Amino acid sequence: MHHVIRRLVATIVTLFGVSILIFGLVRLLPGDIATIIAGSEGQLSAEQREAVLREFGLDRSLPVQYGLWIWNMVQGNFGWSFRNGEPVATLLFSRLPLTIELAVLSVALSSVFGLIFGVIASISQRKGVKLGTQVFGLLGLSVPDFWIGVLLIIAASQIFHWLPPLTYATLWKQPLANLQQMVLPVLALSFGLGAVTMRMTRSSMLEVLGEEFVKVGRAKGLSESAILLRYALRNAFIPIVTILGLQMGVLLGGVVIIEQVFGLPGLGWTLLNGVYQRDYPVVQGAVMLFAVGFALVNLLVDIVYTYLDPRIRHV
Amino acid sequence: MFDGVAQSKPIVIHEPTARRRTLAQWGRAVRQSPATMIGAVLVIGLVLVALAAPLIAPYPPAAQIDLPLLRPGQGYWLGTDEFGRDELSRLVYGARVSLYVGFLSVTIALALGATSGIVAGYYGGHIDNVIMRLMDVLFSLPAIVLAIAITAILGPSLTNALIAIGLVYAPRFARVTRGPTLTVAQLPYIEAARTIGVSNRTIMLRHVLPNISAPLIVQITISLSTAILTEAALSFLGLGTQPPTPSWGLMLSTARQYMLLDAWIAVLPGAAIALAVLGFNLLGDGLRDILDPRIRTL
Repeated sequence: MHHVIRRLVATIVTLFGVSILIFGLVRLLPGDIATIIAGSEGQLSAEQREAVLREFGLDRSLPVQYGLWIWNMVQGNFGWSFRNGEPVATLLFSRLPLTIELAVLSVALSSVFGLIFGVIASISQRKGVKLGTQVFGLLGLSVPDFWIGVLLIIAASQIFHWLPPLTYATLWKQPLANLQQMVLPVLALSFGLGAVTMRMTRSSMLEVLGEEFVKVGRAKGLSESAILLRYALRNAFIPIVTILGLQMGVLLGGVVIIEQVFGLPGLGWTLLNGVYQRDYPVVQGAVMLFAVGFALVNLLVDIVYTYLDPRIRHV
Repeated sequence: MFDGVAQSKPIVIHEPTARRRTLAQWGRAVRQSPATMIGAVLVIGLVLVALAAPLIAPYPPAAQIDLPLLRPGQGYWLGTDEFGRDELSRLVYGARVSLYVGFLSVTIALALGATSGIVAGYYGGHIDNVIMRLMDVLFSLPAIVLAIAITAILGPSLTNALIAIGLVYAPRFARVTRGPTLTVAQLPYIEAARTIGVSNRTIMLRHVLPNISAPLIVQITISLSTAILTEAALSFLGLGTQPPTPSWGLMLSTARQYMLLDAWIAVLPGAAIALAVLGFNLLGDGLRDILDPRIRTL
C-alpha cells in the first residue's frame, strides 16, 4: 500500500509539472491572442481587443491565470471553446468514452493475441514458427498503424464494399453498429501492440522456463499445461506488464491518428480539430486529459505489479 | 509500433563497454546476424537513395504531367499522383525529407537529453532530482500528443516538426545516459582524474561520455526509426512537412482521398516508411547485441 501511495503522490506532482508545461506552451503562442480568439483577419480596435481579453480572463497576470485555470479544472471547468463558446469539459467528456473503448479493446485484443502467440513461440521447436513470430514481431515494430488503417479501409472497400460510415454509432444506443465500426480501427491499433507483447512474452517465457522451479514442477509430475500457465506464465507476467505499460503512450498516440483515419470523433479527433481551428482551450484541455489518462494507466500498471510480485509489496 | 527506449539497466562496468573494434571485426559481427545485415543494407540503401535522389529520380519531384493517377507502367514506373507527378520520383525525394528530419531531430534529442542525463548522473543530488523530474514531465505525455501540442503552438512546418520531435525524444536519452553515468562516475579513474584537478566538464566529455557510448549508440539508432515514424505521423496529420515537399507521411495522407480510385498511391508511401523504420530497428537491435550482449531486451 505504502508503495502505491508514494507512486500516487509522484504522479500528482508530475501532472502539476505537465499542467505548467501546457500552460506555458499555450502562452508562447506567436501572434496576438485576441486576434486568434476573435478569428478575424482584420485589426481589432483597442476596446474590442480589451473586451475579448477580459472575457477569457486573459487580462490578468500569468500566475493568476494559471491558478484560475487549475482551480477551475479541478472543479470540472475546462474553460470555453474559442470557436463556439461551448464548455470544453462537456465537449471533451462526451468524446472520451469512444477513446477509452478504442484503447481498451486494442489492449484486450493485442494481449490475448500476443500472449497466445508468445507462449507458442517460446515452446515450439519448429523453424517455421520461430521465423514467423520473428517476422511478425519486427513488422509490428516498424509498420505505422495509420498505414495499416488505410490498407484495411482499402481492403474492406475492395472485398466487402464497406466504407467507414460517416456517422458514429455510440456503444449505448447502437451497440452492434458501434462494434462493427470498431473492428478495423482496433485491428490497426492492435497490430503493433500485439507484436510487442508477443516478443516480450516469448523472451520472458524462455527465461522463466529455464528456472529451477520449472524443473521441480516437471520432476514432481505436473502436467505441462499447469507448468506453463500456472507457474511459468505467472512469473513471466512482470516484464510483460512493464512493456505494456511503456507501450500505452504509443497506443494513446496511435489512437489520435487512427481516430482521424476512421473519422471517429474521440478525444484525439477533438484534439486535432482544436489544433486545426486554433481553439486553444480545447487543445489545452485535451492534452491535459491525455496526460491524466496516461498517468492513471501507469499507476494501474504499478498496482498490478504489486499484485503480481509480492516482493515489491514488502519494500 | 514500439516505444523506442533502449532498456539499459545500470550495470557494473569494469571495463570500457565500447571495446575498440577493427573494421574487419565489425564486419564479421554484422555478418553473423542476418537481421543486422538486412538492417544495415536497408539503412545504407536509404542513405544512398537520399544522397543520389537527383540521379535516381526520373523526373523532378514537382514536375506535373496531364495524366493524374496513372497506373504503374512504362515511363512512370510507379504511376503518378493526383496532380500527375511521378510517384517514384516523389518517393525517392521523400527519403531526403525522412532522413533530414530523422538526423536533425535525433541530434537535438541527443544534445539535450544526453547532456542532461550525464550532468544528472555525474553531479547527483538536487541537480539530478530537478533534471530527472523535468524529464518525467516531458515523458508523461504520449510522444505524439506532445509533438502535436508543440507543432500546434509553433505552427505546422518541417522545421517545427523536427524541433518538436527532438524535444519529445530528449528524455529517452536522459534516461539512457543517466544510469550508466551513475555507475561510471563511481569508478576509481574518475576520482583519480578529479584528484589531479581535471575540470568536471572535461571529465564528463572525455572520460564519462566515451564509456557510456554503447547504450547511446543503440539509442541513437532506435531513435532514428521512431523519429522517422513520428515525422511521417505529423505530416500525415498535416502538422509536419507542407506541400509540395514530398514527405511520405504527407503523400499517404493526401492519397487517402483517392485511394478507392487508385490504391497504389496509398500503399507505396506507407511501405517506404515501414522499410525505413524497419531498417533502423533491425540495425539498432543488432548493434545492441554486438556492443553490449549483457543488455538484451525483447
